[in-house]
Amino acid sequence: MTFAELHWSAHAGQPLLGALQLLPLLAALAVVTFRESPRVIHLGLALVLAELLLAIYLYFGYDPANPAMQFAERLALPGPFDYHVAVDGVSVLFILLTAMIGFLVTVYGPVRGLGPAWRLMALVFAVESSLMAMFTTMNLFWFVLISALQLGLIGAVLGRWATSPDKDTALSRYYQFMGTGVLLLLIGTLVLGWGHTHASGGRWAFDLFELSRVQVEPAFQTLVFFLLFYGLAIRTPLFPLHGWLPLVAEHGNIAVAPTLLLGLKVGLYGLLRFVFPLLPEAVEEWHLYVAAFAVVGIFYAALMAMLQENLRRLLAFAVVSHTSILVLGLFSLDHLAFQGSVMLSVTFGLALATLVFTTGLVYRRTKTTLLGKLGGLFDHIPFVGIAFFVAGLSIIGMPGTPGFDAVHLVLEASIHRFGGLVTIAAALGNVLAAGFLLWAFQRAFLAPARVERTESIQRITAPELLVAGMVVFVLLGAGFYTEPWLALIDKPLAQLSALYAH
Amino acid sequence: MNEATTIAAEFPLISLMLLTLPLGALLIWLVPDPGKARWIALSTALLDLGLAIAVVVRFDPSQAGFQLVERMPWVPTLNMHYLVGVDGISVLFLPLTVLLFIGVIAASWTGTRTLPRLYYMLLLLLESATLGIFCALDLMLFFLFWELTLIPLYFLISLWGLGPNRRYAAVKYTLFMIAGGIPLLFGFLLLAFNHADFSGATVPAGLVWDYRELLETPLPHGAEVTVFLLLLLGFAVKTPAFPLHTWLPVVSMEGPASVAALMTGLKLGAYGLIRFAVPLAPHAAQELHWLLAGLGVIGILYGALAAMAQTNLRRMLAFASFSHVGLVLLGIASFSLQGIQGALFQLLNFTLVAGGLFLLTGFLHQRIGSTDLISLGGAGRSMPLLAAFYFIFAMAALGVPGTSGFPAEFLILMGTLQSHAGAGLAALFAMVLAAAYVLNSYRRTFYGPPGSAAIADALDLRRRELWVALAFTALILAAGLHPALVLDATRESSGLWVERLGVLPP
Repeated sequence: MTFAELHWSAHAGQPLLGALQLLPLLAALAVVTFRESPRVIHLGLALVLAELLLAIYLYFGYDPANPAMQFAERLALPGPFDYHVAVDGVSVLFILLTAMIGFLVTVYGPVRGLGPAWRLMALVFAVESSLMAMFTTMNLFWFVLISALQLGLIGAVLGRWATSPDKDTALSRYYQFMGTGVLLLLIGTLVLGWGHTHASGGRWAFDLFELSRVQVEPAFQTLVFFLLFYGLAIRTPLFPLHGWLPLVAEHGNIAVAPTLLLGLKVGLYGLLRFVFPLLPEAVEEWHLYVAAFAVVGIFYAALMAMLQENLRRLLAFAVVSHTSILVLGLFSLDHLAFQGSVMLSVTFGLALATLVFTTGLVYRRTKTTLLGKLGGLFDHIPFVGIAFFVAGLSIIGMPGTPGFDAVHLVLEASIHRFGGLVTIAAALGNVLAAGFLLWAFQRAFLAPARVERTESIQRITAPELLVAGMVVFVLLGAGFYTEPWLALIDKPLAQLSALYAH
Repeated sequence: MNEATTIAAEFPLISLMLLTLPLGALLIWLVPDPGKARWIALSTALLDLGLAIAVVVRFDPSQAGFQLVERMPWVPTLNMHYLVGVDGISVLFLPLTVLLFIGVIAASWTGTRTLPRLYYMLLLLLESATLGIFCALDLMLFFLFWELTLIPLYFLISLWGLGPNRRYAAVKYTLFMIAGGIPLLFGFLLLAFNHADFSGATVPAGLVWDYRELLETPLPHGAEVTVFLLLLLGFAVKTPAFPLHTWLPVVSMEGPASVAALMTGLKLGAYGLIRFAVPLAPHAAQELHWLLAGLGVIGILYGALAAMAQTNLRRMLAFASFSHVGLVLLGIASFSLQGIQGALFQLLNFTLVAGGLFLLTGFLHQRIGSTDLISLGGAGRSMPLLAAFYFIFAMAALGVPGTSGFPAEFLILMGTLQSHAGAGLAALFAMVLAAAYVLNSYRRTFYGPPGSAAIADALDLRRRELWVALAFTALILAAGLHPALVLDATRESSGLWVERLGVLPP
């Protein structure tokens, strides 16, 4: 697969991608500088809104009819570490989602009362900047490096705003797993770069464009594939590498860190951007193996989710379960499936954000997320309940939510690649997911409260209504009209699927 | 083949009908006064009744094809369209559905105390989705409406249910329906893929969901059988057909009486079989006629026997409706003009009869607080009007001449006795059983000394309840005495339906 690109000056008067990465950093600096100001929250909101507008501007500037990478920027640095960014439709979609989620998290933080606001905002902005960098860079080494940095930043959020005295175990587990993941990625990257020197006569390279020009040797392909795949899989997380997530979900921070960590499917993006184009033979050789784990993961995680007593752990297993569907789609190696997986990851991101935000709003009132101690909340905060419900439906791909078109595409492709049995299994896994999400919803919101509450549950406040309303609006808005998103990712994915069409 | 011509709509009447209801729901949301919610809901539903009647008036019964068709792109990449229209099979369901919803709104006028705004909003959304099911001609649009009905139903059952296990019932129902959606989706996918193969187009571009185009697409035999089985399975869950009916008694006991009226009154699954499963896989359907007829007979007998054994009026009605829908399956399985017209007639009839019986039972429950037969008795003395209307609806359910049940059952039996004589005899036998359980429960409910003080002091039908009962009765008698009202509207399209089965070589 070869790549072509258009320089940024072909579209816009400004290097837009650089601006997208820099603006959140400047915003982080700004909120730290003006931390004493009473209006620091407004300042942060204005800046993150500006970033969202910039992302929307990028969307309108991007030409979906042209399959080349666009808005490219290059800056020569010593060695193989050149700064090289460019986007295609897939990146644009992820950038839009990042900006959206960054905005939502920034609104949510102060609403939930996570203080001090400036510190949270600075961290969120820094993470947003790193995400933008990951979704634009064409250099695998940069991708890995920024990934490591980002995990550190999110770890800081986890530790600072944890809601459990047991946070140390969770944090150390988090760093162990993430450290391993980054290490695997780094080794994979180095092996790939070294392989490139071997084949091209002594020149190290980590740039996607350069790497793709030289075929990676088959012996290397499998090795590099597994290093990169497992490196990305730990964070995603994929069964059976998900061990850190339930602990972190239970003892870490309720909404902000999980949204930043799991709302954007960096793992899926990494596979699509680097692994699939560079290692087609290995992907094809091992795709059945990955799919088998994915199918098991769907069921295992769904069953585990049913057993949970804590809403936060339940949501953690829900993530593992639906991520497996996503991976199953991706490894169907088909155009429809690629489209479906990308759409699905966007849906999951938004839906997950909604689920954890509403959980956070519940926690603010009850100070617990144990399902046995919740209940009866629908009478007090119906809108929060409805937001949770809508997000749950999106995850199971109910028609009318963006999940539907996506799940439907994945299932179609999966029939083609793996036959009816695997697909029906995946669909049944989805029914299980519906089961545990409905069950959780009932226990938290509809069932009569089992505990005596000393004070009455506070009604929804206006800012909370804004947060819940926004996420539901975005989810449903994207759901009834998916066409622009499909059009956006059609061309770039067509190139990729051509690689796997036999 | 009689070329079915499609007549496009000059004015988007159907869309207007579908859209009015969510707008009404929006209005309820915007008006914070809970006391006004029911008025907004009622006037929206009445307005919609006007629109549904307008659809029927504009409908030309001499045409067999689809009319008032509207088409707009929805997801062009996947070739999905917003495509709605009606033909003789679906057109009469529209006003009856709206009428049943009006009955439900009137029936819950004072009974809904918690979150009334949400209740009426959900009812209106459910109504819109249900009407959408009858109008959708794009398979994916149909599926959208099909699944959209689940969300309001889930909340209606779990928040306003009568029984202590209402939340369990809501989850059970929702999971059954979501699971039933999978075979439907797969069946539709297979059809669309087949069309792509047939026309030689690539997959995303060649997928076709347009019902009319898929009717014309030949299907390889193996695929056809698979499609039929998948669709049969999917629709059987909703109908419900044996052995997938276990959600019905639970929901009718635990859910609110109004929802039970909607679920037993609107046999969406049977409609799906007539509209999609049989015409899209005509040969497989005829080969597997024994399966359809067998499901029908088992349903009829099992439902009748189970109904006899019930001690609660609502459970009894649930099993009775389950038994009656078996007759519809038999009518479909006869693949004859009488059979299909009878089946359609019976489905329309259900809306009035089963829906009406459940509404009356709901009224009874509101007054007495129970529908256990043991605590009933003597209700006829304090509530003569309720007893009288209940009797009329029960007679219609039994197919007594003069009520709309008679022509419907008569046609089905005529069709069935020709195609499956044994099954027809079994159905006749079940009718005797039906007379037994209906009359027996009627006696225990309305005759004898009053079972409790609550019954003796109970108020008879209030004026709005009376209006609902009167409207239903008028239609039952009208269709019973002058069946051509219904038959004329359904004849051409039913003829085409039968013709499609025969045209292709067996």
